[in-house]
Amino acid sequence: MSTMMKIDNLHAKIGEKEILKGIDLELFKGKVHAVMGPNGAGKSTLSKAIVGHPDVEVTEGKILYKDKNIVDLEPEERALEGIFMSFQHPVEIPGVNNAYFLRTALNAKRKHEGLKPLNAAEFLRLLKEKIKELGMKEEMIHRSLNEGFSGGEKKLNEILQMEILEPDFVILDEIDSGLDIDALKKVSEAINNMRDSNRTFMIITHYRKILDYIEPDYVHVLKSGKVLRTGGIEIVDALEKEGYKIFGEE
Amino acid sequence: MRVADINLQAASNKAALQKIKSMGLPTPKTEHYRYFGIKPIFDKEYTLVTPTPAKKEIADHIEIVDGVVTKAPRNLYIEYAKSTKIDDSHYDQVYYLSHLLVPHTITIEIEEDSDITIIHKFTQNGALLPYRIHFVIKPNTHVQITEDEFILAQNALYLYGYDIDIQKDASCKLVQNRVSNFDEFALIASHSIRCETNATFELFTFDFGNAKTLHNYHIQLGEHAQCDANHVIFAKESARLGNTFHIENRGKESKTSQLSRNIIKDAARGIFDGLLIVKNPAKYSAIYQDSKTILLNDGAYMVSKPQMEIYTEFISEATHGSTTGHLDQEALFYLRQRGIDKRQAKEMLVLSFLNEIFEKLGDEKIKEEFIKLYEEQQ
Repeated sequence: MSTMMKIDNLHAKIGEKEILKGIDLELFKGKVHAVMGPNGAGKSTLSKAIVGHPDVEVTEGKILYKDKNIVDLEPEERALEGIFMSFQHPVEIPGVNNAYFLRTALNAKRKHEGLKPLNAAEFLRLLKEKIKELGMKEEMIHRSLNEGFSGGEKKLNEILQMEILEPDFVILDEIDSGLDIDALKKVSEAINNMRDSNRTFMIITHYRKILDYIEPDYVHVLKSGKVLRTGGIEIVDALEKEGYKIFGEE
Repeated sequence: MRVADINLQAASNKAALQKIKSMGLPTPKTEHYRYFGIKPIFDKEYTLVTPTPAKKEIADHIEIVDGVVTKAPRNLYIEYAKSTKIDDSHYDQVYYLSHLLVPHTITIEIEEDSDITIIHKFTQNGALLPYRIHFVIKPNTHVQITEDEFILAQNALYLYGYDIDIQKDASCKLVQNRVSNFDEFALIASHSIRCETNATFELFTFDFGNAKTLHNYHIQLGEHAQCDANHVIFAKESARLGNTFHIENRGKESKTSQLSRNIIKDAARGIFDGLLIVKNPAKYSAIYQDSKTILLNDGAYMVSKPQMEIYTEFISEATHGSTTGHLDQEALFYLRQRGIDKRQAKEMLVLSFLNEIFEKLGDEKIKEEFIKLYEEQQ
């Protein structure tokens, strides 16, 4: 089993507040890792640290992705290396056409990989195919990025971006929040279709439900900025019954 | 000479002279010049240059070089007429000053639907150069005027402006592209637009660069007349780029809508000072005003003053708002997280910010020119 990402003694703060206090985590190629934890545990800060969000300052430790420390890379450099995050609250950007945005992003990646950019017609064919697979409305091609989208549409649009960009490392930050059961099934199905032996998923969630649809290989429990426990799905069962108190205090 | 040293007594336009005598020249305390920095501009030494009519070449557009029409379409009747009739209620002293200084006004009467391009070239270093253009748009005639300004002069002060009469049931769409890359150039343009019954005036202004330019618009709307004014300022370095307005809804059921979108960087200053006035007879009128600004860095400064004065109890709608902030960092991060580099992501957000105006303009060519200019000015 080969390692996709190794997080080593990661400390990070937002403003003056230290949130991550020594995270050690190994994420494997081709595996789905669920990250759970109570509110304030540091789950979202961890995902932001991985993607290079400017609010998060890494003060100590390493994030080794494909054996390279990415802590000092710009967010777009990390993205071009194959790191993708599905946002909990995707930003609405009126005036930026969804298709134009996606083609710009895809062609940036293709350029990085030394491939020829797709022209508008080639891209449109690809986009329509993916939209059909996801059961989305074709009109979203012409709409502004996430503007006026329902909660479900926004999350599906994140999945669409993931399918187009084909990243190697995917963070799904509370992809299940605000989704009804049908939308959750649809999103989960799309994620399962993307699973393969070269792609790693890190699913951040509060709830078991999504893990019924996307079966994780590993479950990690975060609390107070540290990884308290790593195991399998049995951890989720225990959490369902007892809550986070079963892991005691830090 | 300095502006204050100009001998106005010999001027032939007595009405304008009377006005300037009663109003005086603008000072740093004059409200619509308060943030522009008029004193150093007026205190400079210039050579007064009076445009002299010259022979025109036939072209598909109008070209005006230092106030002289050098090119014009064959079918367009242009004459130099004595400047006599003026707007007697303009709020800007420079409107009257420019009328006093020009011996002739470039007068263009339009009786057929037309699409006119005007290129202004400002080339004379050290000049104080006034000129005025008077458009008369005949009833039920529809005109688009697209103008481009090319500033090629240093240490100069140009005073130009439009008087536009949009007669009954006529419409005028005026698109003004103003690019400046000379920080020692100043322009004060003072315009007067009169919309008769059921006339429409659409205005799109795009100001770029680092010069000192101020456009002052007095717009009067008759019954059922409409004004839709839209403004983009992209100011950089030590620029002072501004637009001030008095838009008067004078006739019943007249409408004014005004959008201002401003992007300010470096130590530049943008000015949006818009006063919408609904006069007592203008019952059931509607006025709307919205100004938004993005400051790209800490030293950038925007003066945004949306204002309304309403003198009737019967108004259909009156809303205004103003916001100033920085580029949305979450949106910027979102784009970068998808692999789009920071420069391009910023450009996408800037275009997104201006999109409402570009959508209304409905001219992809101008949008593309804007993108090019924006890229050049980065």
